[in-house]
Amino acid sequence: MIIAERKPFAEIKAMVAPYKKILIVGCGTCVAVCLAGGEKEVGLLASQLKLALGLEDKRLEIGEITVERQCDMEFLRPLCDFTADYEAIVSMACGAGVQFLKQLCSLQPIFPGVNTTFIGVNNEAGYYTERCRACHNCYLGITGGICPVTMCPKGLLNGPCGGTLNGHCEVDPAKECAWSQIYHRLELEGRLDNMKEILPLHPHDRCTTPGTVIHPAYKRRYGINE
Amino acid sequence: MSKLRETLAAGGFPVVVELKPPKGTGVEDMLAPVTALAGRVTAFSVPDNEHAKMRLAAIAAARLVQEAGGEALVHLTCRDRNRLALESDLLGAAALGLENILLVSGDYVTLGDHPQAKPVYDADSVQLLQIARGLADGHDSAGLPLKGSPAFFLGAVVIPEADPLGPQLLKFEKKLAAGAQFFVTPAVFDLDKLRRFREQLPENPGKLLVSVKVLGADEIANASAGQWRKVYSLPPDLVSELAGKEPEAIMARGVETAARLVKQIKQENLADGVYLKAKGRPDLFTQILEAAGL
Repeated sequence: MIIAERKPFAEIKAMVAPYKKILIVGCGTCVAVCLAGGEKEVGLLASQLKLALGLEDKRLEIGEITVERQCDMEFLRPLCDFTADYEAIVSMACGAGVQFLKQLCSLQPIFPGVNTTFIGVNNEAGYYTERCRACHNCYLGITGGICPVTMCPKGLLNGPCGGTLNGHCEVDPAKECAWSQIYHRLELEGRLDNMKEILPLHPHDRCTTPGTVIHPAYKRRYGINE
Repeated sequence: MSKLRETLAAGGFPVVVELKPPKGTGVEDMLAPVTALAGRVTAFSVPDNEHAKMRLAAIAAARLVQEAGGEALVHLTCRDRNRLALESDLLGAAALGLENILLVSGDYVTLGDHPQAKPVYDADSVQLLQIARGLADGHDSAGLPLKGSPAFFLGAVVIPEADPLGPQLLKFEKKLAAGAQFFVTPAVFDLDKLRRFREQLPENPGKLLVSVKVLGADEIANASAGQWRKVYSLPPDLVSELAGKEPEAIMARGVETAARLVKQIKQENLADGVYLKAKGRPDLFTQILEAAGL
Protein backbone atom coordinates (compact mmCIF):
# COMPACT_ATOMS: atom_id res chain seq x y z
CA MET A 1 0.00 0.00 0.00
CA ILE A 2 0.94 3.67 -0.21
CA ILE A 3 2.57 4.96 2.97
CA ALA A 4 2.35 8.63 3.91
CA GLU A 5 3.16 10.85 6.86
CA ARG A 6 1.08 13.78 8.10
CA LYS A 7 2.70 17.08 7.19
CA PRO A 8 3.96 19.18 10.10
CA PHE A 9 1.11 21.15 11.62
CA ALA A 10 2.84 24.52 11.13
CA GLU A 11 3.11 23.86 7.39
CA ILE A 12 -0.58 23.00 7.05
CA LYS A 13 -1.59 25.98 9.20
CA ALA A 14 0.45 28.33 7.01
CA MET A 15 -1.11 26.89 3.83
CA VAL A 16 -4.69 27.47 4.97
CA ALA A 17 -3.98 30.83 6.65
CA PRO A 18 -5.57 32.97 3.89
CA TYR A 19 -8.94 31.17 4.07
CA LYS A 20 -12.03 31.37 6.27
CA LYS A 21 -13.76 28.16 5.20
CA ILE A 22 -11.91 24.98 4.29
CA LEU A 23 -12.78 21.34 3.68
CA ILE A 24 -10.50 18.58 4.91
CA VAL A 25 -10.91 15.43 2.83
CA GLY A 26 -9.66 12.17 4.25
CA CYS A 27 -8.94 8.98 2.34
CA GLY A 28 -10.17 5.72 3.80
CA THR A 29 -7.69 3.27 2.30
CA CYS A 30 -3.86 3.31 2.44
CA VAL A 31 -3.35 6.55 4.37
CA ALA A 32 -6.02 5.48 6.87
CA VAL A 33 -4.17 2.22 7.55
CA CYS A 34 -0.87 4.06 8.07
CA LEU A 35 -2.57 6.53 10.42
CA ALA A 36 -1.79 9.60 8.31
CA GLY A 37 -4.93 10.66 6.46
CA GLY A 38 -8.02 8.66 7.39
CA GLU A 39 -11.20 9.79 9.12
CA LYS A 40 -9.54 9.99 12.54
CA GLU A 41 -6.65 12.04 11.27
CA VAL A 42 -9.07 14.42 9.50
CA GLY A 43 -10.82 15.00 12.84
CA LEU A 44 -7.52 15.46 14.61
CA LEU A 45 -6.25 18.01 12.11
CA ALA A 46 -9.56 19.93 12.21
CA SER A 47 -9.38 20.11 16.02
CA GLN A 48 -5.75 21.19 15.96
CA LEU A 49 -6.49 23.97 13.49
CA LYS A 50 -9.53 25.21 15.43
CA LEU A 51 -7.62 25.23 18.70
CA ALA A 52 -4.54 26.92 17.32
CA LEU A 53 -6.48 29.59 15.46
CA GLY A 54 -8.84 30.06 18.42
CA LEU A 55 -5.82 30.95 20.57
CA GLU A 56 -5.04 33.67 18.02
CA ASP A 57 -8.68 34.94 18.02
CA LYS A 58 -9.11 33.82 14.42
CA ARG A 59 -12.08 31.94 13.02
CA LEU A 60 -11.84 29.12 10.55
CA GLU A 61 -14.86 27.13 9.46
CA ILE A 62 -13.84 23.56 8.74
CA GLY A 63 -15.79 20.85 6.95
CA GLU A 64 -14.69 17.23 7.32
CA ILE A 65 -15.35 14.31 5.05
CA THR A 66 -13.61 11.05 4.25
CA VAL A 67 -14.12 9.00 1.12
CA GLU A 68 -13.15 5.40 0.54
CA ARG A 69 -10.45 6.21 -2.03
CA GLN A 70 -9.51 9.58 -3.48
CA CYS A 71 -7.63 7.87 -6.31
CA ASP A 72 -10.85 6.38 -7.66
CA MET A 73 -13.34 8.18 -9.88
CA GLU A 74 -16.18 6.08 -8.47
CA PHE A 75 -15.68 7.46 -4.95
CA LEU A 76 -14.75 11.01 -5.95
CA ARG A 77 -17.70 11.88 -8.17
CA PRO A 78 -20.23 12.13 -5.33
CA LEU A 79 -17.83 14.43 -3.47
CA CYS A 80 -17.76 17.11 -6.14
CA ASP A 81 -21.03 18.85 -5.17
CA PHE A 82 -19.91 18.94 -1.57
CA THR A 83 -16.59 20.71 -2.21
CA ALA A 84 -18.13 23.72 -3.98
CA ASP A 85 -19.02 25.52 -0.75
CA TYR A 86 -15.43 25.85 0.47
CA GLU A 87 -12.65 28.36 -0.25
CA ALA A 88 -9.88 25.77 -0.10
CA ILE A 89 -9.44 22.02 0.23
CA VAL A 90 -6.92 20.08 2.30
CA SER A 91 -6.61 16.55 0.95
CA MET A 92 -5.20 13.96 3.31
CA ALA A 93 -4.74 11.44 0.47
CA CYS A 94 -1.49 10.42 -1.17
CA GLY A 95 -0.23 12.58 -4.03
CA ALA A 96 -2.36 10.65 -6.51
CA GLY A 97 -5.52 11.33 -4.54
CA VAL A 98 -4.76 15.04 -4.12
CA GLN A 99 -4.29 15.47 -7.87
CA PHE A 100 -7.34 13.42 -8.82
CA LEU A 101 -9.57 15.28 -6.39
CA LYS A 102 -8.39 18.61 -7.79
CA GLN A 103 -8.81 17.41 -11.37
CA LEU A 104 -12.33 16.11 -10.87
CA CYS A 105 -13.96 18.26 -8.21
CA SER A 106 -12.18 21.28 -7.04
CA LEU A 107 -12.05 24.72 -8.64
CA GLN A 108 -10.56 26.24 -5.51
CA PRO A 109 -6.95 25.84 -4.28
CA ILE A 110 -6.05 22.40 -2.94
CA PHE A 111 -3.32 21.61 -0.39
CA PRO A 112 -1.78 18.27 0.60
CA GLY A 113 -2.09 17.30 4.24
CA VAL A 114 0.42 14.47 4.03
CA ASN A 115 3.79 13.75 2.47
CA THR A 116 3.58 10.58 0.39
CA THR A 117 6.59 8.44 1.18
CA PHE A 118 6.61 4.99 -0.41
CA ILE A 119 4.94 1.73 -1.39
CA GLY A 120 5.34 -0.46 1.64
CA VAL A 121 3.97 -2.89 4.16
CA ASN A 122 2.22 -2.62 7.50
CA ASN A 123 4.47 -4.49 9.95
CA GLU A 124 2.23 -3.46 12.83
CA ALA A 125 0.24 -0.37 13.71
CA GLY A 126 2.63 2.56 13.36
CA TYR A 127 5.52 0.65 11.76
CA TYR A 128 5.74 0.67 7.98
CA THR A 129 8.62 -0.24 5.69
CA GLU A 130 9.25 0.20 1.99
CA ARG A 131 9.19 -2.79 -0.35
CA CYS A 132 8.58 -1.61 -3.92
CA ARG A 133 9.67 1.26 -6.15
CA ALA A 134 7.21 0.44 -8.93
CA CYS A 135 10.13 0.04 -11.38
CA HIS A 136 8.02 -1.49 -14.19
CA ASN A 137 10.29 -4.55 -14.47
CA CYS A 138 9.87 -6.87 -11.49
CA TYR A 139 12.98 -8.90 -10.59
CA LEU A 140 11.48 -10.71 -7.58
CA GLY A 141 11.22 -14.03 -9.42
CA ILE A 142 14.99 -14.25 -9.83
CA THR A 143 16.06 -12.59 -6.58
CA GLY A 144 14.31 -14.86 -4.12
CA GLY A 145 11.42 -12.51 -3.44
CA ILE A 146 13.64 -9.66 -2.20
CA CYS A 147 13.70 -6.55 -4.37
CA PRO A 148 17.22 -5.30 -5.16
CA VAL A 149 15.84 -2.10 -6.69
CA THR A 150 14.18 -1.13 -3.41
CA MET A 151 15.96 -2.97 -0.64
CA CYS A 152 19.47 -2.08 -1.87
CA PRO A 153 19.81 1.73 -1.53
CA LYS A 154 21.92 1.75 -4.68
CA GLY A 155 19.43 -0.44 -6.54
CA LEU A 156 22.29 -2.67 -7.72
CA LEU A 157 21.19 -5.55 -9.92
CA ASN A 158 24.29 -7.74 -9.88
CA GLY A 159 25.27 -8.38 -6.31
CA PRO A 160 26.41 -6.46 -3.25
CA CYS A 161 28.53 -3.33 -3.32
CA GLY A 162 31.85 -3.22 -1.50
CA GLY A 163 30.35 -1.60 1.55
CA THR A 164 28.56 -4.63 2.99
CA LEU A 165 29.79 -5.17 6.53
CA ASN A 166 28.94 -8.30 8.50
CA GLY A 167 25.94 -8.76 6.25
CA HIS A 168 24.70 -5.24 6.92
CA CYS A 169 24.24 -2.24 4.65
CA GLU A 170 26.86 0.51 4.36
CA VAL A 171 24.12 3.12 4.13
CA ASP A 172 22.21 2.06 7.24
CA PRO A 173 24.10 -0.43 9.40
CA ALA A 174 20.87 -1.27 11.23
CA LYS A 175 19.57 -2.87 8.04
CA GLU A 176 20.66 -6.14 6.51
CA CYS A 177 22.35 -5.99 3.11
CA ALA A 178 19.69 -6.85 0.53
CA TRP A 179 22.19 -8.82 -1.54
CA SER A 180 23.33 -10.85 1.47
CA GLN A 181 19.68 -11.68 2.08
CA ILE A 182 19.11 -12.53 -1.58
CA TYR A 183 22.19 -14.77 -1.55
CA HIS A 184 21.04 -16.68 1.55
CA ARG A 185 17.47 -16.97 0.26
CA LEU A 186 18.60 -18.34 -3.13
CA GLU A 187 21.07 -20.68 -1.42
CA LEU A 188 18.24 -22.10 0.69
CA GLU A 189 16.08 -22.50 -2.38
CA GLY A 190 18.92 -24.17 -4.31
CA ARG A 191 18.77 -21.39 -6.91
CA LEU A 192 22.14 -19.64 -6.46
CA ASP A 193 22.72 -19.92 -10.20
CA ASN A 194 20.26 -17.03 -10.52
CA MET A 195 22.91 -14.77 -9.03
CA LYS A 196 25.54 -15.84 -11.54
CA GLU A 197 23.64 -14.44 -14.47
CA ILE A 198 24.51 -10.82 -15.29
CA LEU A 199 21.34 -8.77 -15.29
CA PRO A 200 21.32 -6.13 -18.03
CA LEU A 201 20.82 -2.40 -17.57
CA HIS A 202 17.37 -1.54 -16.26
CA PRO A 203 14.91 -0.37 -18.95
CA HIS A 204 14.31 3.10 -17.53
CA ASP A 205 12.34 4.15 -20.60
CA ARG A 206 9.45 2.16 -19.14
CA CYS A 207 9.65 4.33 -16.03
CA THR A 208 9.18 7.61 -17.88
CA THR A 209 6.58 9.54 -15.93
CA PRO A 210 3.65 9.89 -15.88
CA GLY A 211 3.01 6.19 -16.36
CA THR A 212 -0.12 4.77 -17.94
CA VAL A 213 -1.43 1.21 -17.83
CA ILE A 214 -4.33 0.22 -20.03
CA HIS A 215 -5.80 -3.21 -19.43
CA PRO A 216 -6.13 -5.32 -22.60
CA ALA A 217 -9.87 -5.65 -22.05
CA TYR A 218 -10.21 -1.85 -21.85
CA LYS A 219 -8.22 -1.52 -25.04
CA ARG A 220 -10.46 -4.00 -26.83
CA ARG A 221 -13.58 -2.17 -25.76
CA TYR A 222 -12.57 1.48 -26.02
CA GLY A 223 -9.39 1.63 -28.09
CA ILE A 224 -6.29 3.06 -26.44
CA ASN A 225 -7.67 6.35 -25.14
CA GLU A 226 -8.26 6.82 -21.41
CA MET B 1 49.88 0.00 -24.06
CA SER B 2 49.78 1.30 -20.50
CA LYS B 3 52.77 0.73 -18.26
CA LEU B 4 50.48 -0.81 -15.65
CA ARG B 5 49.15 -3.37 -18.11
CA GLU B 6 52.65 -4.09 -19.47
CA THR B 7 54.18 -4.52 -16.03
CA LEU B 8 51.42 -6.85 -14.89
CA ALA B 9 51.57 -8.84 -18.13
CA ALA B 10 55.33 -9.22 -17.77
CA GLY B 11 54.97 -10.51 -14.22
CA GLY B 12 56.51 -7.39 -12.75
CA PHE B 13 55.35 -6.00 -9.42
CA PRO B 14 53.70 -2.64 -10.18
CA VAL B 15 53.31 -0.02 -7.50
CA VAL B 16 50.29 2.26 -7.76
CA VAL B 17 50.14 5.35 -5.60
CA GLU B 18 46.83 6.98 -4.73
CA LEU B 19 46.52 10.75 -5.16
CA LYS B 20 44.03 13.10 -3.52
CA PRO B 21 42.26 15.40 -5.99
CA PRO B 22 41.66 18.74 -4.27
CA LYS B 23 38.40 20.25 -3.17
CA GLY B 24 39.08 23.29 -5.34
CA THR B 25 41.38 24.06 -8.21
CA GLY B 26 44.74 24.08 -6.44
CA VAL B 27 46.34 20.95 -7.89
CA GLU B 28 49.94 21.40 -6.68
CA ASP B 29 49.66 19.17 -3.62
CA MET B 30 47.80 16.51 -5.58
CA LEU B 31 50.57 16.42 -8.17
CA ALA B 32 53.47 16.50 -5.69
CA PRO B 33 53.81 12.68 -5.59
CA VAL B 34 53.93 12.62 -9.41
CA THR B 35 56.81 15.07 -9.49
CA ALA B 36 58.63 13.18 -6.75
CA LEU B 37 58.00 9.60 -7.85
CA ALA B 38 57.20 9.48 -11.58
CA GLY B 39 60.22 7.34 -12.40
CA ARG B 40 59.71 5.10 -9.42
CA VAL B 41 56.07 4.00 -9.40
CA THR B 42 54.04 2.45 -12.17
CA ALA B 43 50.86 4.53 -11.97
CA PHE B 44 49.11 7.24 -9.99
CA SER B 45 45.55 6.48 -9.02
CA VAL B 46 42.92 9.21 -9.09
CA PRO B 47 39.70 8.54 -7.10
CA ASP B 48 36.41 9.90 -8.38
CA ASN B 49 34.65 11.93 -5.66
CA GLU B 50 36.00 9.43 -3.13
CA HIS B 51 33.70 8.64 -0.18
CA ALA B 52 30.97 10.64 -1.99
CA LYS B 53 32.85 13.87 -1.19
CA MET B 54 32.93 16.37 -4.04
CA ARG B 55 36.39 17.02 -5.43
CA LEU B 56 38.04 18.08 -8.68
CA ALA B 57 36.99 15.86 -11.60
CA ALA B 58 38.97 12.64 -11.67
CA ILE B 59 39.37 12.59 -15.45
CA ALA B 60 40.75 16.15 -15.45
CA ALA B 61 43.05 15.26 -12.55
CA ALA B 62 44.22 12.13 -14.34
CA ARG B 63 45.05 14.13 -17.45
CA LEU B 64 47.08 16.53 -15.27
CA VAL B 65 48.95 13.52 -13.90
CA GLN B 66 49.86 12.43 -17.43
CA GLU B 67 50.97 15.97 -18.31
CA ALA B 68 53.16 15.99 -15.20
CA GLY B 69 54.93 12.87 -16.46
CA GLY B 70 53.08 10.10 -14.63
CA GLU B 71 50.73 7.38 -15.79
CA ALA B 72 47.21 7.60 -14.39
CA LEU B 73 44.72 5.04 -13.15
CA VAL B 74 41.43 6.91 -13.15
CA HIS B 75 38.36 5.80 -11.22
CA LEU B 76 34.83 6.14 -12.57
CA THR B 77 31.85 5.80 -10.25
CA CYS B 78 28.31 4.74 -11.12
CA ARG B 79 26.95 6.92 -8.31
CA ASP B 80 27.16 10.24 -10.15
CA ARG B 81 26.33 9.46 -13.77
CA ASN B 82 23.72 7.80 -15.91
CA ARG B 83 24.76 5.55 -18.79
CA LEU B 84 25.10 8.44 -21.25
CA ALA B 85 27.49 10.28 -18.95
CA LEU B 86 29.42 7.11 -18.08
CA GLU B 87 29.94 6.30 -21.73
CA SER B 88 30.84 9.80 -22.85
CA ASP B 89 33.25 10.15 -19.92
CA LEU B 90 34.86 6.83 -20.84
CA LEU B 91 35.31 8.05 -24.42
CA GLY B 92 36.57 11.39 -23.11
CA ALA B 93 39.07 9.63 -20.87
CA ALA B 94 40.33 7.58 -23.81
CA ALA B 95 40.64 10.69 -25.98
CA LEU B 96 42.79 12.26 -23.25
CA GLY B 97 45.12 9.27 -23.31
CA LEU B 98 43.79 7.54 -20.19
CA GLU B 99 43.83 3.77 -20.53
CA ASN B 100 43.76 2.43 -16.96
CA ILE B 101 40.24 2.72 -15.58
CA LEU B 102 38.92 1.48 -12.25
CA LEU B 103 35.15 1.06 -12.42
CA VAL B 104 33.30 1.30 -9.10
CA SER B 105 29.75 1.51 -7.79
CA GLY B 106 30.70 4.35 -5.46
CA ASP B 107 29.99 5.04 -1.79
CA TYR B 108 26.43 6.14 -1.21
CA VAL B 109 25.71 9.87 -1.30
CA THR B 110 24.41 10.13 2.26
CA LEU B 111 27.87 9.07 3.51
CA GLY B 112 29.53 12.03 1.80
CA ASP B 113 29.39 15.81 1.88
CA HIS B 114 26.39 16.27 -0.43
CA PRO B 115 23.93 13.97 1.36
CA GLN B 116 20.87 15.47 -0.34
CA ALA B 117 22.18 14.80 -3.87
CA LYS B 118 20.32 12.36 -6.10
CA PRO B 119 22.16 9.01 -6.31
CA VAL B 120 22.21 7.72 -9.90
CA TYR B 121 23.40 4.09 -10.17
CA ASP B 122 21.85 3.75 -13.62
CA ALA B 123 24.47 1.03 -14.14
CA ASP B 124 26.15 -1.06 -11.48
CA SER B 125 29.87 -1.87 -11.58
CA VAL B 126 29.32 -5.14 -13.47
CA GLN B 127 27.18 -3.43 -16.09
CA LEU B 128 29.69 -0.58 -16.31
CA LEU B 129 32.44 -3.09 -17.07
CA GLN B 130 30.25 -4.48 -19.85
CA ILE B 131 29.66 -0.96 -21.15
CA ALA B 132 33.40 -0.18 -21.18
CA ARG B 133 34.19 -3.44 -22.92
CA GLY B 134 31.46 -2.71 -25.43
CA LEU B 135 33.03 0.67 -26.19
CA ALA B 136 36.38 -1.04 -26.68
CA ASP B 137 34.65 -3.41 -29.07
CA GLY B 138 33.32 -0.45 -31.04
CA HIS B 139 29.75 0.05 -29.85
CA ASP B 140 27.89 1.90 -27.13
CA SER B 141 25.39 0.37 -24.70
CA ALA B 142 22.55 1.07 -27.13
CA GLY B 143 24.41 -1.02 -29.72
CA LEU B 144 25.31 1.96 -31.89
CA PRO B 145 28.68 1.92 -33.65
CA LEU B 146 31.53 4.21 -32.60
CA LYS B 147 33.85 6.17 -34.82
CA GLY B 148 37.13 5.17 -33.24
CA SER B 149 37.03 2.93 -30.21
CA PRO B 150 39.04 3.18 -27.00
CA ALA B 151 41.68 0.81 -25.65
CA PHE B 152 41.11 0.30 -21.95
CA PHE B 153 42.80 -1.63 -19.20
CA LEU B 154 39.80 -2.27 -16.99
CA GLY B 155 39.88 -2.69 -13.26
CA ALA B 156 37.31 -3.41 -10.59
CA VAL B 157 37.20 -3.66 -6.81
CA VAL B 158 37.06 -6.85 -4.78
CA ILE B 159 36.70 -7.15 -1.00
CA PRO B 160 38.83 -9.98 0.46
CA GLU B 161 37.35 -9.60 3.95
CA ALA B 162 33.73 -9.37 2.79
CA ASP B 163 31.33 -11.00 5.22
CA PRO B 164 29.54 -12.98 3.92
CA LEU B 165 32.14 -13.83 1.27
CA GLY B 166 29.82 -15.91 -0.97
CA PRO B 167 27.97 -13.01 -2.63
CA GLN B 168 31.27 -11.13 -3.05
CA LEU B 169 32.84 -14.10 -4.85
CA LEU B 170 29.86 -14.41 -7.17
CA LYS B 171 30.16 -10.71 -7.97
CA PHE B 172 33.90 -11.15 -8.52
CA GLU B 173 33.17 -13.81 -11.14
CA LYS B 174 30.59 -11.58 -12.79
CA LYS B 175 33.12 -8.76 -12.96
CA LEU B 176 35.63 -11.10 -14.55
CA ALA B 177 33.05 -12.24 -17.08
CA ALA B 178 32.08 -8.64 -17.75
CA GLY B 179 35.62 -7.68 -18.66
CA ALA B 180 37.63 -6.85 -15.54
CA GLN B 181 41.33 -7.38 -16.24
CA PHE B 182 42.64 -6.45 -12.81
CA PHE B 183 41.26 -6.02 -9.30
CA VAL B 184 42.07 -3.64 -6.49
CA THR B 185 41.32 -4.51 -2.86
CA PRO B 186 40.63 -2.18 0.04
CA ALA B 187 43.44 -1.89 2.59
CA VAL B 188 44.75 -5.20 3.89
CA PHE B 189 46.49 -5.52 7.25
CA ASP B 190 45.89 -9.21 7.93
CA LEU B 191 47.79 -11.24 5.35
CA ASP B 192 46.31 -14.53 6.60
CA LYS B 193 42.89 -13.26 5.56
CA LEU B 194 44.33 -12.31 2.18
CA ARG B 195 45.80 -15.82 1.79
CA ARG B 196 42.48 -17.44 2.66
CA PHE B 197 40.68 -15.16 0.20
CA ARG B 198 43.07 -16.03 -2.62
CA GLU B 199 42.39 -19.71 -2.06
CA GLN B 200 38.71 -19.06 -2.82
CA LEU B 201 39.32 -17.38 -6.18
CA PRO B 202 38.52 -19.17 -9.44
CA GLU B 203 41.23 -20.12 -11.92
CA ASN B 204 42.63 -17.22 -13.94
CA PRO B 205 41.25 -14.56 -11.62
CA GLY B 206 42.85 -11.59 -13.38
CA LYS B 207 45.57 -9.53 -11.75
CA LEU B 208 45.32 -8.48 -8.13
CA LEU B 209 46.59 -5.20 -6.68
CA VAL B 210 46.41 -5.25 -2.90
CA SER B 211 46.00 -1.95 -1.07
CA VAL B 212 48.41 -1.07 1.68
CA LYS B 213 47.43 1.94 3.72
CA VAL B 214 49.01 4.31 6.20
CA LEU B 215 46.44 4.96 8.90
CA GLY B 216 45.79 8.44 10.21
CA ALA B 217 45.24 9.59 13.80
CA ASP B 218 41.49 9.95 13.14
CA GLU B 219 41.26 6.34 12.04
CA ILE B 220 43.18 5.10 15.09
CA ALA B 221 40.92 7.19 17.37
CA ASN B 222 37.89 5.76 15.63
CA ALA B 223 39.08 2.18 15.95
CA SER B 224 40.15 2.51 19.58
CA ALA B 225 36.70 3.94 20.39
CA GLY B 226 35.16 0.76 18.93
CA GLN B 227 33.65 2.74 16.03
CA TRP B 228 35.53 1.01 13.22
CA ARG B 229 33.13 0.38 10.35
CA LYS B 230 35.23 -0.47 7.32
CA VAL B 231 35.35 -3.50 5.09
CA TYR B 232 38.88 -4.29 6.28
CA SER B 233 39.98 -5.11 9.80
CA LEU B 234 42.78 -3.52 11.79
CA PRO B 235 45.19 -5.46 13.97
CA PRO B 236 44.05 -4.82 17.58
CA ASP B 237 47.68 -4.68 18.77
CA LEU B 238 48.48 -1.87 16.36
CA VAL B 239 45.39 0.09 17.36
CA SER B 240 46.07 -0.17 21.10
CA GLU B 241 49.76 0.68 20.57
CA LEU B 242 48.93 3.85 18.63
CA ALA B 243 45.85 5.04 20.52
CA GLY B 244 46.41 8.54 21.85
CA LYS B 245 49.80 8.97 20.12
CA GLU B 246 50.73 12.13 18.20
CA PRO B 247 49.62 12.15 14.53
CA GLU B 248 53.17 12.13 13.17
CA ALA B 249 54.12 9.22 15.44
CA ILE B 250 51.09 7.34 14.12
CA MET B 251 52.14 8.11 10.55
CA ALA B 252 55.72 6.96 11.20
CA ARG B 253 54.50 3.65 12.59
CA GLY B 254 52.05 3.44 9.69
CA VAL B 255 54.86 3.82 7.19
CA GLU B 256 56.83 1.08 8.94
CA THR B 257 53.82 -1.26 8.89
CA ALA B 258 53.06 -0.45 5.25
CA ALA B 259 56.63 -1.14 4.17
CA ARG B 260 56.62 -4.47 6.01
CA LEU B 261 53.32 -5.46 4.36
CA VAL B 262 54.52 -4.46 0.88
CA LYS B 263 57.71 -6.46 1.33
CA GLN B 264 55.86 -9.51 2.57
CA ILE B 265 53.21 -9.34 -0.16
CA LYS B 266 55.94 -9.20 -2.78
CA GLN B 267 58.16 -11.86 -1.23
CA GLU B 268 55.34 -14.32 -0.66
CA ASN B 269 53.71 -13.54 -4.00
CA LEU B 270 50.39 -12.71 -2.35
CA ALA B 271 49.46 -10.21 -5.06
CA ASP B 272 50.55 -9.08 -8.50
CA GLY B 273 51.24 -5.56 -7.29
CA VAL B 274 50.41 -3.05 -4.58
CA TYR B 275 48.23 0.03 -4.33
CA LEU B 276 49.54 2.49 -1.75
CA LYS B 277 47.36 4.87 0.23
CA ALA B 278 49.22 7.41 2.34
CA LYS B 279 47.14 10.61 2.42
CA GLY B 280 48.58 11.58 -0.98
CA ARG B 281 51.84 12.60 0.75
CA PRO B 282 55.02 12.18 -1.33
CA ASP B 283 57.25 11.97 1.77
CA LEU B 284 55.28 9.00 3.13
CA PHE B 285 55.21 7.21 -0.23
CA THR B 286 58.97 7.69 -0.58
CA GLN B 287 59.65 6.33 2.90
CA ILE B 288 57.46 3.26 2.25
CA LEU B 289 59.17 2.52 -1.05
CA GLU B 290 62.62 2.91 0.45
CA ALA B 291 61.86 0.79 3.49
CA ALA B 292 60.30 -1.87 1.25
CA GLY B 293 63.32 -1.84 -1.03
CA LEU B 294 61.35 -0.77 -4.11
